Amino acid sequence: MIQKILIANRGEIALRIVRACRELGIKTLAVYSEADVQSLHVQLADEAICIGGAKSADSYLRGERIIAAAEIADVDAIHPGYGFLSENAKFAEQCESCNIKFIGPKSNSIKIMGDKAVAKHTVRKAGVPTVPGSDGPVENEAEAVKIARRIGYPVIIKAVAGGGGRGMRIAHNDVSFAKEYHVARGEAEKAFSNPAVYLEKYIEKPRHIEFQILADSHGKTLHLGERDCSVQRRHQKLIEESPSPFLTADLRKRMGKAAIRAAEAAEYENAGTIEFIVDAKGNFYFIEMNTRIQVEHPVTEEVTGIDLVKQQIYVANGEKLAFDQGDIKFDGRHAIECRINAEDPARNFAPSPGTIGLYYAPGGHGVRVDSHVYSGYVIPPYYDSMIGKLICFGSSRKTALERTYRALTEYIVRGIKTTIPLHRAIMSDPTFIEGKATTAYMEDFLSRTPPDLFS
Amino acid sequence: MKRSDLTEFAIEEEGFKLKICRGAEGTPVMSNGRMPVAVPMAAESAASPQPASSPPANAGLAATAAPQEEPGITYIKSPMVGTFYRAASPESPAFVEAGAKVEEKTVVCIIEAMKIMNEIQSETKGTVVEVLVENGQPVEYGQRLFKVKVG
Repeated sequence: MIQKILIANRGEIALRIVRACRELGIKTLAVYSEADVQSLHVQLADEAICIGGAKSADSYLRGERIIAAAEIADVDAIHPGYGFLSENAKFAEQCESCNIKFIGPKSNSIKIMGDKAVAKHTVRKAGVPTVPGSDGPVENEAEAVKIARRIGYPVIIKAVAGGGGRGMRIAHNDVSFAKEYHVARGEAEKAFSNPAVYLEKYIEKPRHIEFQILADSHGKTLHLGERDCSVQRRHQKLIEESPSPFLTADLRKRMGKAAIRAAEAAEYENAGTIEFIVDAKGNFYFIEMNTRIQVEHPVTEEVTGIDLVKQQIYVANGEKLAFDQGDIKFDGRHAIECRINAEDPARNFAPSPGTIGLYYAPGGHGVRVDSHVYSGYVIPPYYDSMIGKLICFGSSRKTALERTYRALTEYIVRGIKTTIPLHRAIMSDPTFIEGKATTAYMEDFLSRTPPDLFS
Repeated sequence: MKRSDLTEFAIEEEGFKLKICRGAEGTPVMSNGRMPVAVPMAAESAASPQPASSPPANAGLAATAAPQEEPGITYIKSPMVGTFYRAASPESPAFVEAGAKVEEKTVVCIIEAMKIMNEIQSETKGTVVEVLVENGQPVEYGQRLFKVKVG
């Protein structure tokens, strides 16, 4: 019976986990870096232990210090959040060997899905469509060029150890391929300590549609519907919504079944997400699985009414999921999430750390704000720039759009630059309003919209 | 604080300020075994906040034990999370006592983390003025272990 959870993360997700634990009567231990002493979740947790200096490499990525803290504070489980060590199979393994429950899948599932080439191979065997490409990492440049020609340009070169949109290069012909191949390998070595790359056909202007998976340790795997995350800038999501304005009921059913097959192929337990790209004709292809809770999980929570973080804890506790696929209703509720980042859209999204002078979050019917910041909070420059998430929902997409726009007009963050004006502009943009956004949307929007309209 | 029915109070002393605020209706305590709502505290101190001497402690409470910097004094801080031991084993004498002279490489204590005993070096030349933590106490990263007079 889990009675105390160590939260191995920071910012808004750490706060999210503290909240779920408090509602369940579970004690919380926050581990934090010296830069996060004044963080909201550190103040709210029952106990807190400093685990290192400001840099992530000296604190949130120090698995041995996190486990040491777990031992001295006698915790039952560790919730890794997203990012940091949440998809580190070795860390999950260390928790397992120290008899501390890792709130997530088994370390082996993380291993399978962590290698993007192995993941693709694994799900293809389970009958899940994947993008045509090299069957695993390419051995050398000569072989790579041959495969690129077989697949047909344009091709995308991806790091085997990458993910989250990082370590990817596109080549449109033989000439650019040689250059991009070497650049991709160099970047992969630097970012992931592994230069291995694999190739895929580059599907142009696809939609990014992912399915939320929830599986218990008793053999039940469900999907909780999809999230359309096509509005991205440089492969980083800005807006997510559910349901996708593009999917038909039939396509949703087929993709949902494929998502479940993919998760089962990795013997998955707990919460995870299967990512697909979908072309204009409705052909869908598996690209990767995220073996963790995701940033945009609130979108699914507001459409289905299911508290995903609590479900993660129940599953980690060994409990059976209390509902079946047929119980999950998609009855018209629509939710949209805007990621509020401390960035200046007018200066090419340069990070804007510093002190928040005045912070006022919107409210009202159908408005949810997941944020760890407050008036007077100093945003540390060492971590990602997301300061909060605005999730608005209603009984139709139109309501959700209008509500999001209304909430954004109330949202005040003084002292730093944010993406709030950008989101407001997108909510007024006909292409987005009509549900026509693909992954090419942001580049197009930014090129045709005068900067003073979104900053 | 409950007894005094104060909703806000502030201490200002040389070196640090501490401000405690309660919510508008005070701090409700749930009686069914759930955790009480924590009181948010905003601590501002001239020196960097140091944890109180009984970790694991909530960082907000830490500000109450933030001494100011003294000239010629430095602190040996914990470089890791674990359990602090004064000696190599229960039967051995303590590595250092107050008054002991230390060099940079002098082993001053052991911090045990995950069954591994790590010898912690002084990294400072001087004289130990005070031992700040107790034998067997859990310590966090950055926690002050010894007060040392430099030189």
